[in-house]
Amino acid sequence: MIRPEEIKMSAEETGKWGMVIDQDICTGCQACVAACAMENNISFVGEVDAGYGRSMHWIRIERFWEGAYPEVKMTPNQPMLCQQCGHATCEPVCPAFATVHSQAEQLNLQVYNRCVGTRYCANNCPYQVRAFNWRDYQRPEPLSNQLNPDVTVRRMGVMEKCTFCIQRIHKAQDKAKSEGREVVDGEFTTACAQACPANAIVFGRVDDPESLVSQVARAHGHGVKHLEELGTLPNVTYFKGG
Amino acid sequence: MSNKFSRRDFLKLAGVGAATTAILTGCGPASRYVKREPYMLMPEYTYNGQSTYYATTCRECAAGCGLIVRTSQGRAIKTEGNANNPLNLGKTCARGQATLQGLYNPDRVTDPAKAGASITWDAATQAVVDALKNHKPDEIAFLMGTTSDHLFDLVTDLAAATGINAPVRFGALSMFESRATLSTAAENLFGQRGLPFFDVGGAQVVFSFGANFLETWLSPVSYTRGFAGLREAQTKMRGTFVQFESRMSATGGKADEWMPIRPGTEAMVVLAIGKLVAEKRGGTMPHAFIEVDPANVAAKSGIKLETLEQLAEKFASSAGALAIPGGAALGQSNGLTVAEAVLALNALVDNFGKPGGVYFSALAPNQTEYQRAASVQEMQGFIQKMAEGKFKVLFIHGVNPVFELPASLGFKEALSGVGQVISFATFPDETAQEADYVLPDHHSLESWGYQRVVTGSAQPVLSGSQPVVSPFYNTRATADVLIAAAQLAGGKFAQALPFTDEVEFLQSKVAPLMNSADGFFSAADINTFMAYFQQYGGWWKTLDGRAVPVAANLLNHSLSGAEAEFAGEGEFFFVPFVSPTLAEAGANKPWLQELPDPTTTVMWNTWVEINPETAHELGLEDDDVVKIISEAGELEVPVYRYPAIRPDTIAMPFGQGHTAYSRYADNRGVNPADLLGQYFNEAGDLAFAGMKVKIEKTGKKQPLSRMESIMGVYGVGLGEEH
Repeated sequence: MIRPEEIKMSAEETGKWGMVIDQDICTGCQACVAACAMENNISFVGEVDAGYGRSMHWIRIERFWEGAYPEVKMTPNQPMLCQQCGHATCEPVCPAFATVHSQAEQLNLQVYNRCVGTRYCANNCPYQVRAFNWRDYQRPEPLSNQLNPDVTVRRMGVMEKCTFCIQRIHKAQDKAKSEGREVVDGEFTTACAQACPANAIVFGRVDDPESLVSQVARAHGHGVKHLEELGTLPNVTYFKGG
Repeated sequence: MSNKFSRRDFLKLAGVGAATTAILTGCGPASRYVKREPYMLMPEYTYNGQSTYYATTCRECAAGCGLIVRTSQGRAIKTEGNANNPLNLGKTCARGQATLQGLYNPDRVTDPAKAGASITWDAATQAVVDALKNHKPDEIAFLMGTTSDHLFDLVTDLAAATGINAPVRFGALSMFESRATLSTAAENLFGQRGLPFFDVGGAQVVFSFGANFLETWLSPVSYTRGFAGLREAQTKMRGTFVQFESRMSATGGKADEWMPIRPGTEAMVVLAIGKLVAEKRGGTMPHAFIEVDPANVAAKSGIKLETLEQLAEKFASSAGALAIPGGAALGQSNGLTVAEAVLALNALVDNFGKPGGVYFSALAPNQTEYQRAASVQEMQGFIQKMAEGKFKVLFIHGVNPVFELPASLGFKEALSGVGQVISFATFPDETAQEADYVLPDHHSLESWGYQRVVTGSAQPVLSGSQPVVSPFYNTRATADVLIAAAQLAGGKFAQALPFTDEVEFLQSKVAPLMNSADGFFSAADINTFMAYFQQYGGWWKTLDGRAVPVAANLLNHSLSGAEAEFAGEGEFFFVPFVSPTLAEAGANKPWLQELPDPTTTVMWNTWVEINPETAHELGLEDDDVVKIISEAGELEVPVYRYPAIRPDTIAMPFGQGHTAYSRYADNRGVNPADLLGQYFNEAGDLAFAGMKVKIEKTGKKQPLSRMESIMGVYGVGLGEEH
């Protein structure tokens, strides 16, 4: 097994995208969940399948209870999404190389047309953030008019998960390239971060010390990465607050 | 913000379609409409893979947040917040995000219809003409929702000029927000009408008495931004937030301290804290706080006396203390007293007009005085008139009163006393089903208009709407229908609405703002002004428009610390609350249905929250269906054992229980408004949390779909272990 400190970035690995999430100000309002579904053509599955845990959320808000009435407390809302691990546990188990690591963006990619639906990756994900298409979920006409042309529509038997809105990353990179410049920090953001009314989610280049996401991380100073002890090298940092 | 903008800004915001042509050529009405073209016939301004962005206004609630809608080849594909709009600064809530699912919902009303059979728009317009011409003015009434302010203004103008009844507005959200209570309290204490604005963002200590300001209350996006400011810990000390309520709301879940006080004791708790604060600060004790006995309050409310003293100390010693009234605390028989006591508490720490304090919300640019939707008591009077046959014609737009009003008020039955009901519903909802004519309005994303920002922004804001797609169906703007009908009716009707179409009316309404020096843009002619108005998504002033309240009557105003009265025989206090994700009109959007509720994580259904101890005593498990019986009605609903609710209280979300509101909403869950009786607080708002109910077992089970049970590994849910 490779230990986290042994993993080194190669020279061409520039453009490490990451996120910080401030749980102290997340109100659990679900705006990010809705925004993600609207941006990424995520299917709704209906009451019965949702009850079986088959809903396709790429991001979910976890809340837990501490104590018992009257000293009961809701733990700070915890938006949970693909942590875009630097050393992802989902990747080595895929027999079809459908879930692979991208050198350019340093994200975990999900290649839908390679996926054969073994679901090994979901089994192996300690964050439980992968969603499997158990059916061809219907979008009766004209609901399909809403589909985002930049995002592939997935069908039955395919695994999917948060992509850090890679279509937005690429669009911004293409635009910057055509204008002969670098992507400017804040030029674009993910759907969840864009919607968040509390600004609890900040997205950007974590390898750029001047980016907003790096500044926020520094200012807070006590970020936490989930299940870091597993050596997954997550790209999402949480502030517990409270 | 200046009135100059760069070419880049222009392209970014323009909506390069209608707006640009208007700016460049000042074209007539033909250029005002956006075309949805097939791929073969693409408009010249679109390129494959390039999106066009339009600024418009969200109408999922009455707050008036600005939107930027991304369209591709004539189809709207994503809504985002308008970063220029001072109210929401580029942010949206979940309901704003899901607007498109209303636009593209497969079950919209597609054609005008009479008694269920399609008719032509000519026949439909003629029906409106006949309704206007063949009745006396006082036999014609309009009932409108809280959105589409431009249409409300149009009908108000029509009513003023022709003598028909002035339009009445109503919405379930304003019912649960107790807006009449808030403004009456302000009037009684400050001697001035208006809606208070609470600057959560600038405060250091916030005490909220039931206010669900992070969910649906008044202007949730703006208040959420305020909350983030309260918790901001990098430039100042992290603010503290204490919530007093009998059932932990999603807002209460974010509190540092949650105080589960006994329902009905809110007023005395506020007064007791006020007395302790006044003692600590010295000076003249306001009349309102003199009589209350904190020790007695502690015994009745369930908060220890020393806790009350600690809270008072915290409030009195902070430089930025703020108290907010709202939610169930106002929806009780003494709701007005609670609101006044909370405003008096703010007056005591002298936070009026200061950062982190209380203001009067800024009036919108084309508004001269504060207006609010009808309280339920006012609606009761309206329904009485309907039942007595005083109205021969009733026009209904933007509201679904058969669903939104408590069934005990008898709106549905009273409709039979009205000769003719003409609905402008976009969905075949419960009210439209009872109507003689349904003349469908466009969806908000297909519509023109404006919405006044009533609260939430320091600057006075008029949010503007424009169509981002051409209408999908054979629908017609209600303003256009009314203008056409008024022209055909002739006489005073034609004189009241001398316009060719809705856009001309809109221009006449915003034209007075054109040369205003304090706006963030101005223009010399109306076409240029309208082009800017569309590009930026409205018009707003650059300066703070909030007024500072003066507690003129504070010292001599007396308030009763008596407990609220509860109707009914049952053993449980009943607390209905608005679903944070669905609100009043979200149930027809499948993705809102599939959003987990922030506190229970339940999707697609209604539940009743019961304390686990109480459930144990009653022998109830999760998903057991119980019958809830109130004076006004009964309904069956599955149990959710909720750890953060008083053992003597049960709670239910409002938003489901439709019988006709598209396939995603129909026959799903139940409507807690069916349990509510006709009880009001002193300001005429419904005492929706003023009832006691009984619970009966039914022996049935109905599994609720919850997100939380899949967390953990292989279905070993965290919910099961608790």
